[in-house]
Amino acid sequence: MPREADPSTNEQAFLLSALRENIRLDGRALDAYRPISLSFGEDYGTADVRIGKTRVRATISADVVTPFVDRKFDGVFTISTELSPMASPAFEVGRQDQTEILLSRILEKTVRRSGALDTESLCIVAGQKCFHIRADIHVMDHDGNLVDASCLALIAALLHFRRPDVEIKGEEVTVFSVREREPVKLAMQHQPFCVTTSCYEEGTILLHDATLLEEQCREGDVLISMNKFGEICQIAKYGGAPMDGLSILTCTNTVLERVKIFDQLVKDRIAEDEKRRDVGGLIAELSAENDR
Amino acid sequence: MATMTTLLPGEDVPSSQFPKSKKGTLTLGPGLRHVPPSTILATTAGSLQVDHKKSALWLEFENGRYQPAVGDLVIAQVHHTGSDHFFCSLTPHTPHALLGQLAFEGASKKTRPNLKSGDIVYGRITKASKWEDTELECINPSGKADGMGQLKEGMLFHVSHAFARRLMMGTDKSGHSKGAVVILEEMGEKIRFEVAVGRNGKVWINSSSVKETVMIGRLLTTADEEHWDVEQQKKAVKKALQDA
Repeated sequence: MPREADPSTNEQAFLLSALRENIRLDGRALDAYRPISLSFGEDYGTADVRIGKTRVRATISADVVTPFVDRKFDGVFTISTELSPMASPAFEVGRQDQTEILLSRILEKTVRRSGALDTESLCIVAGQKCFHIRADIHVMDHDGNLVDASCLALIAALLHFRRPDVEIKGEEVTVFSVREREPVKLAMQHQPFCVTTSCYEEGTILLHDATLLEEQCREGDVLISMNKFGEICQIAKYGGAPMDGLSILTCTNTVLERVKIFDQLVKDRIAEDEKRRDVGGLIAELSAENDR
Repeated sequence: MATMTTLLPGEDVPSSQFPKSKKGTLTLGPGLRHVPPSTILATTAGSLQVDHKKSALWLEFENGRYQPAVGDLVIAQVHHTGSDHFFCSLTPHTPHALLGQLAFEGASKKTRPNLKSGDIVYGRITKASKWEDTELECINPSGKADGMGQLKEGMLFHVSHAFARRLMMGTDKSGHSKGAVVILEEMGEKIRFEVAVGRNGKVWINSSSVKETVMIGRLLTTADEEHWDVEQQKKAVKKALQDA
């Protein structure tokens, strides 16, 4: 079944009348998020994000491929998203629906096109060998706000991931396994996060982190991606009720606050995870990477 | 209940647990299956319940989809209207249940209720079979609505079907809730509200203010998710009333 079940008219009417009184069904403030949990897997590059009941897992992997002919000095970075029936019975295997297209498109614009990952650093031998970094986004449970959760998971996983170290001697390239040499972090240029703002009542009520029910009742939404310095990577508004310039501007301000919180959360969790892995402080000794 | 037996799917019910009364046939409830000649298998994970008087056995489990059973009171959502039935959904993504357009109090061919897609009704299941469509009605055998019918306004909250069952168990002779859920009773002493509980895991609440409805709904859903016991429920109700 390709559609999410529609909420009843009672639920829709009640939700809107509650929002008019600034009340959300789960008791949050209008711009508050549900509790966010971010955890990493045993392997490098797996991040698990839970926002309320929504759960997204991002996995990063790397292999060595030939670069594209027109981009000899760049590595390859691809993002693949998958919505399985595990997340919601409304998703079907093998059939892309609107949610999935939107999700992959926003991630592409936010992370790949904004140059968050320095692809030039993935080049091994120009025109011959480069790393292919592949990010897989798996949605495990869907209770609204998939885009924000996926973006957070993706950035956290990229920051957590380590690619195998390589050594070049003339024509010969050696890729070292994890046991031979401490793997290397990816070169990230900035960390963009996406925040969705849902609007109701012709743009007079703005919400962050809408649940599935709130998403089904909203009139429109604005997806804004930016990094903690307030540099906007993309603004997307696919249809819905019109919004004036001023409310978009106020949106970006609240988004910036939220992005700073996300950035700090990821940083804290990464630091915790590194501390957990760094038994006896050996990681720094093992690394063959030079400080640039 | 002295000890609780927990069974996993595929496990046999130990014969020591069978009801003690010898007369009458053994009745099997949800979650159990009879394999001739004398084995009873659990088909899901749950705790075994025995009623010695009625010579009945069933499994109590929390998860999974609601399975319609005759006589259950449910909250259904009208999906679309046919020539003489409303097609209602009890749970999302399952076949529709049929609600006769004349199965309302005082309904005749000329005065049939006008329900639209998305409206919700409180009704009783009259037919539940594996091979046929489930059927509902909003009328008693005596022709009275008896609280059933369309639910106007208010809000629908979603709980697990085990919790909905506990809510509907009522009270025993001494006034204690059999299902160990006291939120509605405690709230009812302070606030006026209407409530309808459907066995399919839906609770409809209507009160004079949005704030109160949300408060009761949130208490119920969190009590379900976090498995609150009676003491925790009482404490939470008290706190919620103070904050309001």
